[in-house]
Amino acid sequence: MRRRWLIIFLTLLLLWVLVAQVNHYLALWRVYLFVGGLYVTYAALQLPLRSGLAASLLGGLLCDANSPVPPGTHVILFAAAHAVLFHVRDRVPRDQTITRVIIALLANLALFLVFSFLLIGLSPTPAAIWPRLIFDLVCSQVFLALIAPWFFALQGRAQELAGLRERSIY
Amino acid sequence: MPPRFDQARPFVTLGVVVLVWILLPVVIKGFLRVSFFELQAPVSVPASYLRDLQDYWSLRVHSKTELIAAGRDLARVNASYELASQQHAEFLAEIRRLEDLLRLPAHSQYRFEHARVVRRDFSGWWQQLVIRKGRNYGIPVGAPVVFSGGVVGRVIAVHAYTAVVELISSPTLRLAAVVEGDTRPMSFQGGLNTTFGPAHGVIEFVPLDIFASANSTRRLVTSGLGGVFPPGLTLGQVVKIEPSTDGLFKTGEVLLDQRLGELIEVTVLVPLNEG
Repeated sequence: MRRRWLIIFLTLLLLWVLVAQVNHYLALWRVYLFVGGLYVTYAALQLPLRSGLAASLLGGLLCDANSPVPPGTHVILFAAAHAVLFHVRDRVPRDQTITRVIIALLANLALFLVFSFLLIGLSPTPAAIWPRLIFDLVCSQVFLALIAPWFFALQGRAQELAGLRERSIY
Repeated sequence: MPPRFDQARPFVTLGVVVLVWILLPVVIKGFLRVSFFELQAPVSVPASYLRDLQDYWSLRVHSKTELIAAGRDLARVNASYELASQQHAEFLAEIRRLEDLLRLPAHSQYRFEHARVVRRDFSGWWQQLVIRKGRNYGIPVGAPVVFSGGVVGRVIAVHAYTAVVELISSPTLRLAAVVEGDTRPMSFQGGLNTTFGPAHGVIEFVPLDIFASANSTRRLVTSGLGGVFPPGLTLGQVVKIEPSTDGLFKTGEVLLDQRLGELIEVTVLVPLNEG
């Protein structure tokens, strides 16, 4: 039971590495993918509160370490997203992949917008930056919809391989 | 557990997390940031070595005729640089003589540290590079980073084997600049990064008698003020200048080098007095 957050964190580390590599190549065209929603969705929908939140917080620390943002920006945003998703998880069919993907898309949209409003003040011309942000958001959502089923399956499978059941008891 | 508290449990936990984070000492936050950065470094750095290997094997498919032609072209360029290098040594000696004669403070001396790019991170919010040299090569925080096209940015974080470079296209980077041939400083800030296009920057406090347009651009260079960047390094081309709202100065737009998004190697200027 104690290893559950660690297993999920390792999958988040893999996700971060893969997305960082994709962003490295997309930098040529000045396109950036943000998949913050994927860092919290599975942990919030499937794991008990404490271990799920621990995984989300570790994912936030990982993102914080690689971004020039005030310390804790990702941590607090991911914790808030986790709390909201955990609150609603019993009202949605959270075992279905399509539901998880839709929730991840909504969480990603919310996180992206909050992030943009927090950081847009740094730009010398905030209004001029929105077309770029909207394009990045659309690309991110498409990318997330494509990889989310694989990533959720990976997270479930990783738990099985570690000898942990996928579904948790609340 | 009462059902009402059960509903509020995630938010109570969130409140506790936020409170703990606020009360956490800065030292621990800094330690966590460094630790998590170093945690992923062993994954990112080998990925960059793999890219280098990929490039190496793709270069191996070139024919010998192509390599001979490239070597010949390179020899010609080297000959030109050899001459320029001799002149450079003469100029440096002349500057030293004048500094001694006039008792001027000496110009900063730099050591050139070439580094491969591990990762590019170009979002709409920030632009940064991770390079494959860090404390192991004595890279200091704040060191200027350049490439053949001019300024890349400055080092904002140094880790054991890597360093993070904030690009001049990043909205968080500000520096003093001058238009080539003029000595009056103005403020440069990055931040206009459109998709599929080159990055742009913004200049403020431009004197009223400076003009530029898309058809007659002006080269913007570092001023040397502030002591971070040596003077005369290219920042970009001023493509637009218009009067600012206060009427005392002008503001303008600077087109940055397209190659900033494709860099695979950069040079860090390490001040010699910092060891």
